[in-house]
Amino acid sequence: MPTVTIDGCEVKVKRDATILDAARKAGIWIPTLCYHPAVPSEATCRLCMVELDRGEWKQLVTACNYPVRRDIVVYVSSERAKKARRGVMELLLARAPESQELKALAERMGVKGTPYPNVTDSQRNCILCGLCVQVCEQIIGKAAISFAGRGAERTVAAPFRQPSEDCIGCGACAAICPVGTIKVRLHKEQQEVEISPFKSRVKLLVCQECGTPIVSSEVSEQVLRKSQIDWQEFRELLRLCPKCRRSQTSARLRAASVYK
Amino acid sequence: MPEDSEIIEQIVDRYDGDDGMLIPMMQDLQAESGYLPADQLRCLGRHLRLPLSRLYAVATFYSSFRLAPKGAHEVTLCMGTVCYLKGSASISEAITREFQVEPGGTTRDRLFSFQAVNCMGACAVAPVMTVDGKYYNGVSPASALEILYGLTKEHVTADKEEQT
Repeated sequence: MPTVTIDGCEVKVKRDATILDAARKAGIWIPTLCYHPAVPSEATCRLCMVELDRGEWKQLVTACNYPVRRDIVVYVSSERAKKARRGVMELLLARAPESQELKALAERMGVKGTPYPNVTDSQRNCILCGLCVQVCEQIIGKAAISFAGRGAERTVAAPFRQPSEDCIGCGACAAICPVGTIKVRLHKEQQEVEISPFKSRVKLLVCQECGTPIVSSEVSEQVLRKSQIDWQEFRELLRLCPKCRRSQTSARLRAASVYK
Repeated sequence: MPEDSEIIEQIVDRYDGDDGMLIPMMQDLQAESGYLPADQLRCLGRHLRLPLSRLYAVATFYSSFRLAPKGAHEVTLCMGTVCYLKGSASISEAITREFQVEPGGTTRDRLFSFQAVNCMGACAVAPVMTVDGKYYNGVSPASALEILYGLTKEHVTADKEEQT
């Protein structure tokens, strides 16, 4: 097992673990945005840069996807590494000036604000990390959204910038978005869920007892397929919201006098 | 549209249905209709079992793909260093203002597609504009608009002749 020396602290990790894994094991904090254990690291946000000691010279590398193959020496809190990460944070703040998540992280890093003009793009507040695109394609298997355009015009969008036909309204993109830009909006009157800002809308299943919206029927079908539970009783239970399901189950148990 | 899917089947077969050949397929598709219609992209995606978002990403990444039909005429304005210094930016602004068309776009009536390019190799006679391959030297905002309004008339009379 190779040893990683982070700021003088030695930690052993498995071969091909990342510098980030080693730092987490050692309890050393490295700020991250585009890192998520559910999907492979693409190191798009550049926020986790650390200094790698190469003997003669030192190099900035992204901790989230740098594989440890031999004993290495890394500096997380060297001046150069800190300066690099702060510079990245300043650029990201200009891209996503309204993100509370980003502001909180900037504060933790000691970055007060950004000297750069705010980006006023069609997709403001997006840092283009690509987590939403990855999760939609690799985990959900739908690829309802993708990157569109290139250079300064690069955005995340559904095809033709129209509501996506492939979106099942699962909200995974919103859950994984590190800057809180993608949001799930419930439209109770229409019983629809909308994924903002992609404007994709999907019909929701409602609880047969109390009418509370639960999930979209596509999500329900997909979960059934993936979990491979397909008995009638289970399907019927799925027509209820969690609350009604609990109360019905407990009523049934009481009637069956299990707890008498 | 049976014709559409026939064209797409032919194109897909040409490359043995290999989705790695997506870009050549899209080029062939664009050669058929001059642009990439949304329905045809959808159909191509279904044939290759690729998500539409992948095709859209490719179509928007490469500037040679277009998602809207081309105009009847092709207008290019040089924005290279010399032309720029000689005032091509104000020509571009004038065209955008008069015809409501951004560089890279097509006018609403599909009269012309307007493209800004980086150098046409005619710096000595800057600023340069071409219309359907014909060079216009030393244009000014006023003369550029005049040329483009000339197009309008030509287009309209051509249409009338067709009708009669």
